Amino acid sequence: MNNPHHLNPTSLKSRFTTRFLRALTKIRAQKPISSSSPTEIFRRYRRIKVAADKSMAYSVRSRRIWSRAMLWKLRSRSYRRQDPCSGRRSGKTNQAIMKKSSNGNITRRREDGVGFVEEADELRQLVPGGETMNLCNLLDETAHYIKCLTTQVQVMKKIADFYSF
Amino acid sequence: MEKDKAFMSEELKNRTTTRQQQPAWNPCGFMTEMSTNELNCGTEQVGNYFFNPNWDNSMDQSDPFESALSSMVSSPAASNVGSGENVMMRELIGRLGNICNSKDIITNSTNVSCYSTPLNSPPFSTDPGFAERAARFSCFGGLNDPLRDSLKLSGHVNGSQTINNSTLSRSSSPENAESGVSKEESSVSEQLPGGNTKKRKSIPRGKAKETPSPATVDAKVAAENNDESNAKRSKQNGTVKASNKEDSKPPEPPKDYIHVRARRGQATDSHSLAERVRREKISERMKFLQDLVPGCNKVTGKAVMLDEIINYVQSLQRQVEFLSMKLATVNPKMDVNMETLLSKDMFQSRGLLPHAVYSMEPTFPFGYQPQQGLALNNGIANTTSQLGFQLPQVNGFIDGNPQVGSIWEDDLQSIVQMGFGQNQAQCYQGSIAPGQVKIEL
Repeated sequence: MNNPHHLNPTSLKSRFTTRFLRALTKIRAQKPISSSSPTEIFRRYRRIKVAADKSMAYSVRSRRIWSRAMLWKLRSRSYRRQDPCSGRRSGKTNQAIMKKSSNGNITRRREDGVGFVEEADELRQLVPGGETMNLCNLLDETAHYIKCLTTQVQVMKKIADFYSF
Repeated sequence: MEKDKAFMSEELKNRTTTRQQQPAWNPCGFMTEMSTNELNCGTEQVGNYFFNPNWDNSMDQSDPFESALSSMVSSPAASNVGSGENVMMRELIGRLGNICNSKDIITNSTNVSCYSTPLNSPPFSTDPGFAERAARFSCFGGLNDPLRDSLKLSGHVNGSQTINNSTLSRSSSPENAESGVSKEESSVSEQLPGGNTKKRKSIPRGKAKETPSPATVDAKVAAENNDESNAKRSKQNGTVKASNKEDSKPPEPPKDYIHVRARRGQATDSHSLAERVRREKISERMKFLQDLVPGCNKVTGKAVMLDEIINYVQSLQRQVEFLSMKLATVNPKMDVNMETLLSKDMFQSRGLLPHAVYSMEPTFPFGYQPQQGLALNNGIANTTSQLGFQLPQVNGFIDGNPQVGSIWEDDLQSIVQMGFGQNQAQCYQGSIAPGQVKIEL
């Protein structure tokens, strides 16, 4: 039986996998794995986490509000690593996103008339760039974000399994 | 007098070419022709009335739609119709639930999406739907044949049905051709003169959403559709936006606005309509999310659903963190490159690749793993000669992998994948006794 296992090279999964693997090899190349001090491991963990987010955001490019927000966050973080005011950064993020987001009104509290504002706010905090979206767009972005997150988890799981044997 | 309003339609604009200078349009006379049934059609039958309020006698026939309509719109105020009639007409229009934004007419907004006000619509004759509609309205006295043919009451808001403005021209002149005006898919509103008992039904089946606007003239789109019986009248003060919901019958052409029709027994002001549209969008998306998030089918209620979604997103994010921590701690014995990982994807259906190599377990999924790995190597070896990765596989596939991986990384990406495909096709023959797996050195 023929199994069509050839991956679609343009799918989100393969794009993410490529980038993430590249980043992983880079991270591994930087430091020898032999050192197992907790701090080293922690640092590597942070880097890998950032690499995962970055790879995913780059795979999605700017097609989504959340990916744009994430890219912006990553860039600003790399530029101003020592900046202690994260609040300012997030404010700027909002500003930048606002220009791109179709929904510009972020200043007022969103009472959408649907009655679940608290949950919506929580969701906004979870989804990058969610503060600038109204509920409708937020749900859209959440759906796409969930899809990308599941892809990420799948690939990373496979990699981890692959590595651990 | 209310009837007068019913027939005010932006479709007047359509009368550019065929328009004839009519004497002051006589609403009363017009009304007489209208059957009261039509005018008082029930909520289900919101008529879009075409009429030709050629109020402005001075209008030049050659005027483009926009100007014609705008002048026509404005003319009532100045014409003998008077503002009172406008008021009545507005009421009537509201009653009939037709939507047309006279403001749009006036403002000649190009993106008029109102059913009846395609301000910038092209001339009638180009509209096939119009012909269809026209054919239906045999009672159109004033319409010339081509116009009549083109005139057609379409029950559906059909973007292709460009007839938005139906203007009844009592006179023989078929001014009110509905032209491609209805690009914006306004429903055609036609008025049947001469005691025509044709029913006017609201064309747009979707929800009507109106934007408040000081419409002096409300265009009514008469949908002759029987199916439109479900459509509710919505009071339209401004531009009517009909959303092409599932209940609208015809596929609506791309519109600039979203047309919504008010539902029965619901408020019809523009704000509530807009709210309703929004709520429906949100519930659509919630349904989609429900499919995405596992275990959400039993959950009812938006708030609980949202909680579930939040939990799911949080768990996914935590999983990513955990996996990245795991990747940070794991000691890679080999270089993982894309190809290996892709091949892993290929193998995923057969279980984990590494397991099979070490443990020649007599389990089916593992059983043929080694063979596949071997086949892979064979494939590679066949393709290249300088592969040093034909190492003793006794150490297991994993150990052999680094070389394989590096070599693959260099050149053999496509070849490997091809080899994979071939080998898999060959190897995937069913259960393979582990003992029969041979290791090639």
